[in-house]
Amino acid sequence: MECRGGAAMERLDGLLTWSLGAVARLLPPERREWAEAVQQEAAHLPGGWPRLDWLAGGLWLVVREAHVVRKFVYWAGIGGVAAIAGWALWRSWTNVPRIDVEVGTDRVRLLVAATALIALPWIGRRRGWFGPVGNSVAARLGRVAGCAAIWSPALYLVRLDKQTGQTGYSPGGINWLQEIGGLVLLAAVVTVPLIIKAMRPAAETSTLWSLSGMAAVIVLVILPVQMLAIVYIAGILLATSRRSVVTSASLIGGAIAGLVAALITNQLASHVEELGLAVFGLMVLVILLAAVPAGTISAWLVSGHQDQAELREARIRQGLLAGTVAGACCGLVAVTFEMFMVFAMVLGPAAGLVGGALGGAFADQHQLPRRDGSRAAGFFVSSS
Amino acid sequence: MPRRANFSAQTLALLGALAGEPSSWRHGYDLARETGLKSGTLYPILVRLADRGIVEASWEAEQPAGRPRRHLYRLTSDGLAAATAALAAAAGLQPAAVPGPKREQRPAPAPRRSPSRRRLAGEGT
Repeated sequence: MECRGGAAMERLDGLLTWSLGAVARLLPPERREWAEAVQQEAAHLPGGWPRLDWLAGGLWLVVREAHVVRKFVYWAGIGGVAAIAGWALWRSWTNVPRIDVEVGTDRVRLLVAATALIALPWIGRRRGWFGPVGNSVAARLGRVAGCAAIWSPALYLVRLDKQTGQTGYSPGGINWLQEIGGLVLLAAVVTVPLIIKAMRPAAETSTLWSLSGMAAVIVLVILPVQMLAIVYIAGILLATSRRSVVTSASLIGGAIAGLVAALITNQLASHVEELGLAVFGLMVLVILLAAVPAGTISAWLVSGHQDQAELREARIRQGLLAGTVAGACCGLVAVTFEMFMVFAMVLGPAAGLVGGALGGAFADQHQLPRRDGSRAAGFFVSSS
Repeated sequence: MPRRANFSAQTLALLGALAGEPSSWRHGYDLARETGLKSGTLYPILVRLADRGIVEASWEAEQPAGRPRRHLYRLTSDGLAAATAALAAAAGLQPAAVPGPKREQRPAPAPRRSPSRRRLAGEGT
């Protein structure tokens, strides 16, 4: 059909038709016929604006169905994390005193974290523990923001290294026995419960992982600090993967509670000279108290279990997870303010776990109003 | 308990257009003109309705001279019942009170290349 509006309109028409054909490849194969349908229908429309409008609608269809915006934002976030990591490494190599044993320790720390950031998602893609990322916005944001936050203490270290000898900060020399031993211990904490379960199937899974979690907290205290980065990156990827048992409510509730706790602990940290060692106890208390509402809310929102005992178990589990997320988030943010708050990265999740368990226990008997609603059908068709 | 389907105003407009001629295969531009929906709104709704088994889609069996084949749409049997119920509910009437359009014998559609007839449990039919 002849295009009204001259050569420019015709060129635009051709461009949009070509673009629609090209971007249709972003759709899964079973959806491509819909883009083709719009494209072929356009050939039956009068030329000019009506056809351009129609083709633009087809492009919008592809953007919606292929989740183009979501993919773009996610990959932009991943790119941002990679850029921060690259910047930290580059600054560590260029802006700090050269050939200094202690500075070398921090370089190893940065390299270990960068390796974990690259290696764990790769392992996750192959085995499914760490990836792919969950479908919710909370999972995607949590993954990107968490991995970016890991690099905040790294940049802090780089800044300290630049002033080596002036700040009193000393990362210490590198101890390869401790480095390798740390990795072995960490691997043991993860694999021992699996081995015990394989050898004794009757063993209670939750007990095994609880013991493993407690061992991990103790082990973290004696591990070199870079192991924390590995544990945190692994934890962030596990919590936000598609297989994760952590619900969006637990992720969001835990993150908000953690941020609030971090702001309060930051205020406490500024009074460390007046309060002395009591400040650390207060910080743990703050994390614990912040984790309680996070655990309560996430447990409160759990539904979909017919059996009351199952529902109760699921609620307490989500309470524990939300509390742990709150503690970890608090530790991660607090260390950004003050490097000595690195202890919060270890004790935060433990205190959060306790607070979240309390919160989950508060909400475990809550009766939800019946809601069979679902927004799975999307914007245009919904059920409730 | 079966779920009650809540359709948006745009979806109801489209269901109304399709239910008006339930035995006819309609093409996208025809539906867009009747409902006033733009293609960027119309097609996502058609995709969702086809996923739910409310609408079936088929390519024209024969290619028109000088033009590509069109993609055609109509309500399925279940879709007609769902549309009638939804339109009646939207109008504040009981489904039984609304005389449903009589379904005629359908012509055989061209074979579909990628059928997408995922039924959602508890569709309000």
